[in-house]
Amino acid sequence: MNGVRRLRASSEQPHRGRTPSEWGPALIFLLPSIAVLGTFNFYPALYSLYLSLFEWNGLNPQRTFVGLENYARLIGSGEFWNALRVTLVYAAGVTLTALLLGVGVAVLLNQPIRGRAFYRVLYFLPVITPTVATGVVWKYLFDPTQGVINRGLGGVGIVGPSWLSDPAWALAAVILVGIWKRVGFNMVVYLAALQSIPKTYYEAAAIDGASPWQQFRYITLPLLAPTTFFLVVTALIDAFQVFDLVYVMTAGGPLTATDVMGYYLYRYGFRYSELGFASAIAYVMFALIFVVTVLQFRFSRGGGQVDR
Amino acid sequence: MGVDRLIAKWKVGLRLSVVHLLLMAGAFLSAMPFLWMLTTSLKPEPALYQPPLLLPTHFEWENYVKAWAAAPFPRFFLNSTIMTAGIVLAQTLLSAMAGYAFARMRFPGRDVLFFLVLGTMMIPFPVTLIPSFLVVNWLGWIDTYNALIIPRAVSAFAIFLFRQYFLTIPRELEEAAWIDGAGRFTLFFRIILPLSTPVIAASAIFSFLFAWNDFLWPLLVTNSTEMRTVQVGLAMFQGQYGVFWTLLTAAATIVTLPAIVAFLAAQKQFIAGITNTGLKD
Amino acid sequence: MKGTWFKAVVFALVMLLGLGVAQKLTFWHYWDGANGQALQALIERYQKDNPGVSIEAVFVPGSELLTKLQTAITARQTPTMAISDLVAMPLLTRSGALAPLDDYIRQGTLNLADYFAGPLVYGVFQGRRYSLPVSASNLGLFWNKNLFRQAGLDPNRPPRNWDELLSFARQIKERTGKWGIELFTQGGEGTTWQTQVYFWGAGAEFLNANNTAPAFNSAQGVRALQFLVDLVQKEKVATVAPWGLFGRGEAAMVMDGSWMTQFFPQQVNFELGAAAFPFAPGGRAATNMGGEQVFIFQSSEAATVRAAWNFIQWFSSTPVQVEWNRNTGFLPVRRSVASDPAYRAWVGNARPLMRPFVDSMAVARPRPPVTRYPQISDIFARYVQEALLGRLSPQDALNRAAQEITPLLR
Repeated sequence: MNGVRRLRASSEQPHRGRTPSEWGPALIFLLPSIAVLGTFNFYPALYSLYLSLFEWNGLNPQRTFVGLENYARLIGSGEFWNALRVTLVYAAGVTLTALLLGVGVAVLLNQPIRGRAFYRVLYFLPVITPTVATGVVWKYLFDPTQGVINRGLGGVGIVGPSWLSDPAWALAAVILVGIWKRVGFNMVVYLAALQSIPKTYYEAAAIDGASPWQQFRYITLPLLAPTTFFLVVTALIDAFQVFDLVYVMTAGGPLTATDVMGYYLYRYGFRYSELGFASAIAYVMFALIFVVTVLQFRFSRGGGQVDR
Repeated sequence: MGVDRLIAKWKVGLRLSVVHLLLMAGAFLSAMPFLWMLTTSLKPEPALYQPPLLLPTHFEWENYVKAWAAAPFPRFFLNSTIMTAGIVLAQTLLSAMAGYAFARMRFPGRDVLFFLVLGTMMIPFPVTLIPSFLVVNWLGWIDTYNALIIPRAVSAFAIFLFRQYFLTIPRELEEAAWIDGAGRFTLFFRIILPLSTPVIAASAIFSFLFAWNDFLWPLLVTNSTEMRTVQVGLAMFQGQYGVFWTLLTAAATIVTLPAIVAFLAAQKQFIAGITNTGLKD
Repeated sequence: MKGTWFKAVVFALVMLLGLGVAQKLTFWHYWDGANGQALQALIERYQKDNPGVSIEAVFVPGSELLTKLQTAITARQTPTMAISDLVAMPLLTRSGALAPLDDYIRQGTLNLADYFAGPLVYGVFQGRRYSLPVSASNLGLFWNKNLFRQAGLDPNRPPRNWDELLSFARQIKERTGKWGIELFTQGGEGTTWQTQVYFWGAGAEFLNANNTAPAFNSAQGVRALQFLVDLVQKEKVATVAPWGLFGRGEAAMVMDGSWMTQFFPQQVNFELGAAAFPFAPGGRAATNMGGEQVFIFQSSEAATVRAAWNFIQWFSSTPVQVEWNRNTGFLPVRRSVASDPAYRAWVGNARPLMRPFVDSMAVARPRPPVTRYPQISDIFARYVQEALLGRLSPQDALNRAAQEITPLLR
């Protein structure tokens, strides 16, 4: 298993010797990005932090300064805690399942099998399909009497729930569609990363008698670690803000069963025109995702080895 | 010997057909809504209340003619193309550069800066709309391509994607050139970028989809019909009062086609990469 | 000195341009498809008759219009005029960005007394009027004549009150196995504005007379909600399910909007009937009303506001409105249009399904014009769902809704 050892040597040990600080080149590489992000992301973000201290409907010429009242109101509202709970369940339900399916499909479709390009397109279609079409078809599949799902369940003697109209099942249905949409995305990122693994590693391992599973376990997976890290971090960021699927499938209902943070924010920001309160929601969401992300970086030691 | 080989071949064949069966089932599930869109766009109108996914009994190509004529699509396609090209080019190049700096360079404040960049992905977009709009308005960019492209010229998501990909590239590849005295520009443009076609393709396809599908921002920063993009055209079919599904799905198919073409082009790049470089043992 | 000169030259130039070049107006709207074409045709005719004016109509998707107006108002990049769904009018009138219309109305040719009372409730703030209704829609009963026949009911006789509605629904469930009536149970404004029709039909009010407190948790309100809950829970002639049963022929009756007289005939494969929605015995005829209002933004150029007003006045005149309503299928906002012989003949010949909706305009009621209506509506709908699902009694559901809504009306 020379290949495996070599790989450890190259990517897990610190860089030989300390590289000198390179703030000059770094500035050039980063300046355009920082300029654009600063103007169109940092500044608006700070502005909305400021707005979160006001009561404002986006139209009135006057804004009323309320201090931290929006935050106090948020923490004290059952709606917020419900949204947080629903979001966490959604994130937990989608992230891991879609990750496993994504890496599985990517590894399969990285083999020279027949119709590979065709499969890749089909698995990516959920990412491309307009949300309207996604909503219509999945609503139909979940239809209590006409839908394929309940007919299938009926075939094996199970009376299916009325999914999207049942507060106990609606979130499960939305999670299923969330997974469906995420797999293709994960597949593409994994497919790209698989190309960076030198063939020589596998050749060496094969000579050493490693089985395909061992090769996957000891070469592919460790080398995909930075990519997996990327996918977990972005999946959680996206799941915390999920909106589209809920909007077209359940509009947060029935009752508040699928009222995820993204939809909760939309209700206050767009439907109720409470821009100050919506900004406070956004900042609480930001704080939560930020902490989760920092923890992930801590836990994985930087999400891959960078030079220290 | 002949029999052994036959059995071995048969085993491989069986395993392959099981794999194909599984792949096909998943592929069908993935494609279903898209297929519904396609078949509905070719049906006569009472489409919504028919069971979905049935093939049309006859092909109503007329739906496409009507959909195309219902909005100034040629102009919308031109605008979307310019906007998307600008965003894809800028996001790919600038994000690759930034991702490289974060993956390989050492400078004070790197990690803080990186977290600030990541942080921009975590602020829900709806609350930054009005302040972003005010900036663009202050710059006098309303109703211009500047407003459509420049505020989205950099993507934190792509920076992160590139950083993580660069971390998977073995350092040996750069070290030889580094020792020979090559600068960061040479390393980046001559060694790293050529090795990165797969991730460039992946990032480009995501940038493409982001730009091509974006709806709210282009709508807010343009006021004239001449500056509108395809997604606004598509919104014209989701009427306030009712929807003609055949026309909506025809328009949606037209608008989605470029995304599929873009993906087809991008996925071809998922076969090259480092695998073909002569990395020495 | 120099500055004064400069200003004088600019002023002269502007005056020259103003005389020589057409007055340019922009008009934001969300009328898509045939409605948008009808607007464009009228604008082109107006421009031909008024060479000094050019109007650019810009389509903005309805769901984003309010956001677009928010950014436009905040950045002072407003169009000359725009329309809005009437529910957003209370927010817009308080923005300080709209031009008051009272003086124009007083000096002009429009007679407000000719308008239906319902839509006029909107657009007024602190005694001044900022908008005028330009289109309307309302809710009525559609029924599936094929299912009526199958159930042994007279296919041409819709139910006239709740007792008949219930007995028809029972007969349909019994004889055909289909649902008697479909209810909108998905929550949000869709649930609220349909439920309001039942409440009004039972003699209940939604809010008190000056819109400062909920009134829906009255005895009549409880009776109305109990009726709906019974349809689902006790009689089992209706169900809590995604919307669309009626269109697929799985429910025999439904409450839906006047615009569906245009869509249903092209989308369903059964014979349709339409009627005013039945009300409770001892209750009153009532329906809910939707539609759009047009308004002008304040501008430093009085001439621009004046030019916009001239267009709106022309657009609102009876003959133009007759044509507008015929081409769009919107319901009239003016009595003179609803009773216009040419309009009535068109309805009778081309849109017979629409007649009960036109006639219902006289009893169409506005939703309360309060700024927080969207939030109030969501809360109300959620408690209606709680009752329909059998998780709360109608009385408890309405009391809790009232408790949550009260602070929003302060």
